[in-house]
Order: sequence, then structure tokens, then C-alpha cells
Amino acid sequence: MTAAARAAYPRNREIKWRGRIVIGGGVLLALVHAALLHHLKLEDFTPDLYTVAALFLGLFASRHGRYGPSLVFGLIRDFFSLGLLGSYAVLYSLLHKAAGRAREKFDPERVGNVFIMAVIGTFLVNFGYHVMLALAGDGVGWSRALARCAGTAVATGPLAVLLFPIWHWLLGKCGAKRSGPFWNI
Amino acid sequence: MQRNHEKLTLGWLVRHPLVATCILLALTIALPYLRVGERLKLLTFLPVARASGDVAETPYEKLSAQQRAQLDLARERERVSLLETENARLREAISQHDALRSLAPAFAESPLPAAVTARVIFKGDASTWRHCCWINRGRKHGIEDGMPVVAGRSLVGRVFMAGDEHACVQLLTDPGFAAACIIVDPDDPHVDPASRVRAVLRGDGSAMPHFPRLELEDVPAGAPVKPGMHVVTNDYSGQYPVGLSVGVVRETIPQAGFLQVRMEANLDLLTLEVLQVLLHKRPELEKQALALIRRKK
Repeated sequence: MTAAARAAYPRNREIKWRGRIVIGGGVLLALVHAALLHHLKLEDFTPDLYTVAALFLGLFASRHGRYGPSLVFGLIRDFFSLGLLGSYAVLYSLLHKAAGRAREKFDPERVGNVFIMAVIGTFLVNFGYHVMLALAGDGVGWSRALARCAGTAVATGPLAVLLFPIWHWLLGKCGAKRSGPFWNI
Repeated sequence: MQRNHEKLTLGWLVRHPLVATCILLALTIALPYLRVGERLKLLTFLPVARASGDVAETPYEKLSAQQRAQLDLARERERVSLLETENARLREAISQHDALRSLAPAFAESPLPAAVTARVIFKGDASTWRHCCWINRGRKHGIEDGMPVVAGRSLVGRVFMAGDEHACVQLLTDPGFAAACIIVDPDDPHVDPASRVRAVLRGDGSAMPHFPRLELEDVPAGAPVKPGMHVVTNDYSGQYPVGLSVGVVRETIPQAGFLQVRMEANLDLLTLEVLQVLLHKRPELEKQALALIRRKK
């Protein structure tokens, strides 16, 4: 984070909910993914709820946490998955950085922007995961991977449009404060 | 311009977790035999697995009436499921015995290795790509990494990592799963075993593991494969015993230089409650070579 950005958004001493949202939310979403989403029979159109939450953190969490919360969020998903430990952690850290850049140009409060960001973010995270699978010798073929990632991204976009306002409302209800465009989490 | 001369110490890595994670990831990819990530994950996931199996481990007398009833019900379900599995296996064995005898006596009559029966305690994976489940048996019961997991005589997957009392099973739909297979024709039992079509089954991370649709790799162009043929495991790599049923060929698509074979697995992986872990170890290289030499003689 640059010095100018730090000055623009001075640290609020009342930062709270970060640990609970990252760890509690991460474990809850991991269990939802593992125990529920696989059973919906949506084939390649299974939404990636976890990435939507990571994108929300990347767009709206306090910049003073840097990419830390996203990294921990990804690590939690890694621990509940068979894949390489650290793959989602790295991908979500990169998503955090990309989201930080994207929000400088696009307003993340607008429905259209949320949809586009969610589609692109989900696609990139899933495709990045497949790249790591391929590096480890477990890839499923690039055309198949592209089709799957596109399907997941298309299914996730509308979900983000629905979930972002709900999460904003919930944070407001929980008493989390806003510092500029960011939540103090 | 002033240069930053920060020393690379453990403290520096703690302050830069992304770099530390990248190093961990690179180590896991470059040195897979160390299984650093798997060991860490096992440590973390075991409390969750234990929590889900807590009631079964609590002394019966200490439980409340409701918990006892739940435990009894779970045990009865497990027993019924076991009996149903065994019943289905025996029925299938009886009905197919004659056909398999004439088809492939070498593997149809070969007894399976000893097995440990286990209950599935958790199904699913947090990633949209990977497929696994957790079972309530581990190293204490003789289970080791890499052992085949079956339901009856149908292949389910392999043990990915084993803890003391629990183990993680990698399902055959997982992208990291691979098994050497042969394709047999039930209508033509008198085929020379040496001329059977060989292939490699690889999981494709299919998002719908209900009667999963899988693909066979390395099938040569022009191989006599047609829909309805059966796919069974081959002991070529020594990882799996020969003759475990995998599925049925549904479609063949000729491609440039190879034949794309799509198949449907025999099992609905999401409804599995009870599995058997075959106590089959992959033979060492020397033993495998000796077995091949003996077979050629």
C-alpha cells in the first residue's frame, strides 16, 4: 500500500470482525462448498461462492490488512481441499491486488461492474487453479479447462450481484464502520 | 538511489507471507515425494474428522438416551449397508460368474486382497476441481497411502493420505487420479489377453460425480472399442489389482492419432456410505520386474 493511500484512508482503531469474517466465513464457506454445492447437480455451472467472498474482501476490506486476509482466506480453502497447499492462497492474494487496481477505475457499487468483476475474477481464479494442476501434472486439457472455468464464471456472476448487497447490509447490521469506500474489516 | 539491504531471514518471510506461500507451493510442486502440503493438511483436517466421528468414539454408557438411539441407528444403518453391499456383490458374482469365467479366467477368478471396511464420514471438497471423501479407518487398521478403495468389486478411488484413525480417499473423478485399465468385450469372450486394448483412466474433475462420465486416454487410433464394452483395472503398474470394475464404454470419437473413449462409471459416488480399502500395496520395482519376467516365460 502506498503512503498516499495510507494518508487517504487513515487507520481506524475500531477495525473489527476481520478475524471472525476471514476464519469463520472461510470455514463456513468451505463446508458449504464441500457439503452442499457439489450435490446440486449443476455440472460445470456450479457457482464459486468462495471466490465471490474473496472478491468482496479484495474490493471492500480495509487496505491496512494488505493482502493478508485474502491469503488466509485462500489457505483455509486449501486446507479443506485435496489440491496443492497454497494454491488458492496465492490466487486470492493476486485477486486482492487485481481487485484493488480494478476499483480505481470501476465503481464496485454498481451492479454491472460487480457482475463483470465477479465473472472475470472467478474465471481467472479457476483458470489459475487449473494452471497449477497442469504444473503438477494433473491438468484436464486446456479446452476442457477453459469451458469449465467459463461455465463456473457465468454461474457465479449473478450470484455476486445478489450477495454483495446482502453482505453490505449484514456488515452494517453488525456495526462494522466504513472508512471511505472500505469497511473496517 | 538508496537500496534496501533487508536480509532474508525467517522474520522477513513472516512479513511477506505471499512469498512464503509461493515457496511452499513451489516446494510442493517440485518435490512431490516430500508431501509437505498433505502432511500439514492432515494435521489440520483430523480434528474436523474426529469431531464428526465423536459420538462413535464416546463410551456408550456416558451418552444420553437420544445419543444412544442415534448411535444405535447409525450402527444399524452401517450394518444394513454392509449386508446390502455384500448381498449385491454376491448376487453380481453369481450372475456374472459363468460369463466372466469364460471371458477372462485370469482375473475373474483371482481373489481380491484382504479388505478393511470403512464408513464414509465426510464427502466433498472445498475446491470445485477436486473430489475426495474421508473414511473412519486409518493406519491403525492397516491402511496406507495409495491403497485401492472399492465398493464391492467396483473401483472408487485410492487412499490419498492416511491418519491414525481416518483417511482421505481420492475419488476416481479427481484430476489427480489415474489407473491403468483394459477394455473387455462381454460379447466376445475368446479374445487373446495379450491383444486386449489397454488405456489409462484419468479423472477429469467433472463437477457432477453422479455416475461420472470419464474418459480413457492413450487408446490407439483404430483400436476395436465399441459402446457397451466393459472397462476393468489392469495390474500393469501394480497400483491396483487386476479386474476391478470401472465402468462401461458409452461413446468413441476418432481423433487425429488416437481414439477418444468416453465411459460411464459403475457407481454413484455421492450415495456411497460404506467402502472397502483393499490392503494391496504397490510392489517394489524389483518385484514388479520379476513378475513381468515370470509372465513372459
